[in-house]
Amino acid sequence: MEIFLFALIGILIISLIIVIKSADIFVDNLVEIGALLGISQIILGVTASAIGTSLPEFGSAMIATLTGSSDIGVGVVIGSNIWNIAGILGITATFTGLIKTSPKGLSRDGMVTLATAVILMIFMFFGNIGKIAAIVFIIIYAIYLRNLIKSQREEDAENLANEAKDAKRNSKTVESESKLKKLRSISPKTIIWTLIGLSGLIVGCRLLVYSGVELGKILGIPEMIMGLFTLAIGTSIPELVVTFSSAMKGLHDLSIGNILGSNTFNIMIGIGIPAFIMDIPVEPLSLAFDAPAMIFVTILVLLLIKRGMKLTRVDGIILMATYVAYAVIRLFVLG
Amino acid sequence: MYKKILVTSSGEYLDEIIEHTLDLINERGIEVIGLYVADNSAPFLTPKRVKQMMVDELKQRGKEILDSMEKEFTKPAHCKIRFRPILIEGDPAEEIIKIAEDEDIDVIVMGTGKSKIDKHLLGSVSEKVVHSAPCTILLIRSKHKFR
Repeated sequence: MEIFLFALIGILIISLIIVIKSADIFVDNLVEIGALLGISQIILGVTASAIGTSLPEFGSAMIATLTGSSDIGVGVVIGSNIWNIAGILGITATFTGLIKTSPKGLSRDGMVTLATAVILMIFMFFGNIGKIAAIVFIIIYAIYLRNLIKSQREEDAENLANEAKDAKRNSKTVESESKLKKLRSISPKTIIWTLIGLSGLIVGCRLLVYSGVELGKILGIPEMIMGLFTLAIGTSIPELVVTFSSAMKGLHDLSIGNILGSNTFNIMIGIGIPAFIMDIPVEPLSLAFDAPAMIFVTILVLLLIKRGMKLTRVDGIILMATYVAYAVIRLFVLG
Repeated sequence: MYKKILVTSSGEYLDEIIEHTLDLINERGIEVIGLYVADNSAPFLTPKRVKQMMVDELKQRGKEILDSMEKEFTKPAHCKIRFRPILIEGDPAEEIIKIAEDEDIDVIVMGTGKSKIDKHLLGSVSEKVVHSAPCTILLIRSKHKFR
């Protein structure tokens, strides 16, 4: 029995790495194909960064729902969203001492993240999350993505205008990189890597969900808890590394934007697409505690940021303490 | 005394660094190399596209910083200064040391000012440079806490 337990833990860790690396390979090659098909670099860039770190959560939620472990699916999404904000932003702010943001980024991404969490809870009130909710989620995400692309276009146009001015004044500083790629034919290698990425994602997610379910059975842990904590934290590793390293390098907008964007994607697509395929049942405790906790941490982080458009080390400690409190109540009080 | 100065900044304390460099030069004919290193390190499992996005953003920031340096060092009042910007990717401390060696630099001017906690948690580029630099270093400690 013990050997089986260790084997499952091993499968869980290896499948997590497979899922994360496969998602990366898949997005990377998909972007390459998109570029060669003539899709705008802005659209590809925004979409790739929006889904790049969230594919593991989406894949796990999708596979879990399709294989009849919908509790794990919902758990991964809600658990990831709570961990992303309270855990990842908490750890990052505590260690780096400061994460700044702009009012524009906060009002756009922050309010959308909060709104999506509230919309999810409203649909949860009505029982199972079905096709109507799925369509609403997907439409909202499409509108959000369109706004992101529009905003990126404006920013790029501004940068290009500045670059043109700089080029006139002086052109010695940086090698200018042309953003226009020559149209080439799609190489079989790119297609093969895309398929490898997709296959790795599917197989990895299947293994991840399987090991999560089996571990839960052996240890007597409910599927929802496995989803909320083990899988949620595991599939959020890309968010953790991106948020932490970008904050360390002073790329603050990317740091907070990545978390807020990921949370929006997790709900709208991570629940939206599986719910479109089959109804997702709502566990009463999720409605009574997990979803409100997700909304609470979202409001908390927005209020903390709003005070000075930044998260300080003290804010980070507050966020981490909130996550610990949530985990203790969820695991030991509510069970 | 000094013929070649390497001025480097990640954007922090830039005004003070320029001010101290100009004071050090004191209207002499001298070559100033402005250096910005776009840190291209990323932890394991960082998505490739996001890593590239970070490097691109840092290069954009580096360009702005080098432009600010150039604006200051090429003012008519400092006509004896020959300014040359360098923007590269890599590990900041390693690249600063490498450029100092390759360019036969006499003095490196850079900022410092992280708190003890930050130094322990995040590390310090200036500390690494101090330990391995092939030349004199002028560390500018900012009066303002600016990150």
